[in-house]
Amino acid sequence: MANELFIPLLMAMATASYGLRIAGFLMMRVMPVSPRLDAALRATPLGVMAGIVALAAMNGGLAEWLAIALVMIVQRISGNDVVAAFAGVASLALIRAYG
Amino acid sequence: MADPVPYTRAGFWRGVAVAHPMVAGVFVYGIAFGLMAEQARLAPWQAVLVSAFVFSGSAQVAAMGLLAAGISTLSATLWAVIALVLVINARYFLFSATLYPWIKGLPARQIYPTLFTLGDGSWMLSMRAYDQGERDAGFLLGSGLGSGLSWVLGTAVGSVIGGYAPDPRALALDFLLAAFAVAMLVGMIRRKSDGMILGVAIVIAIGFAKIGQANWAPVAAGLGAGLLACLRYQEARPDGE
Repeated sequence: MANELFIPLLMAMATASYGLRIAGFLMMRVMPVSPRLDAALRATPLGVMAGIVALAAMNGGLAEWLAIALVMIVQRISGNDVVAAFAGVASLALIRAYG
Repeated sequence: MADPVPYTRAGFWRGVAVAHPMVAGVFVYGIAFGLMAEQARLAPWQAVLVSAFVFSGSAQVAAMGLLAAGISTLSATLWAVIALVLVINARYFLFSATLYPWIKGLPARQIYPTLFTLGDGSWMLSMRAYDQGERDAGFLLGSGLGSGLSWVLGTAVGSVIGGYAPDPRALALDFLLAAFAVAMLVGMIRRKSDGMILGVAIVIAIGFAKIGQANWAPVAAGLGAGLLACLRYQEARPDGE
């Protein structure tokens, strides 16, 4: 890609990304931190993760559902995120190849 | 009135150690991004710069999809890419707000570089550690950089091997993000009241996807979960954390 295009694109993406990384912190500086807000912010990761999973489940077919179920089971048994995630990815690749 | 926040090398290495299990997965994801960058006609050094400075898998992947689909004018492309990154990474706003109670006592020269490395994995690992009593903010930087290097290296490998690699979909790499989300979600659920939050988040996400706003779905689900927890705080007795 030509640098006349690439450099502005890189700067735009990097600024947007870093801007968000500091914006939440800066906002909290002007707003008082109540225990209630703390409870809300603690619950957001569950929501974001559930949203990502819900979309994958919605867009996927039986193969993706099986892979998601396998990730849950392996996570429960192993307690290891990476082992569980890769078990799911590997099983999905196998199902796509031979299913 | 608050105690000074520790920011030590020991904390940094604890973060690196905790992020260590993610290294292989992030490396493979980095390779996948490198392949996509190559398809969007980025040179390997350009792909590496994107991974180093944007430092966000999902946003970079989506941006490459946009660039590969075709570029009209520079300004149109710029705004489209900015909007895409803001939408996909809106969760970083929530993440950095969540870190405020932990890092507010640090000097700016430590806060802002540390926040640069903030990502899904490092944030989740850090919040879990904070719940378990970790207070050293070096942990944040360590968990961010611990897997970040393999992200950049994976990008380099992926963009160099380019067209020689097999189809990422055949390797189910498109499922990697969802697989990690499932695993971390299962690991995060601890209280019974989390079930209701999960249910609401799922309904919101599917609702947004149904009206053609899939990019907003995870953000909306996160905001909905936060709002619900905020409303329920009144009735629930604080459990004295």
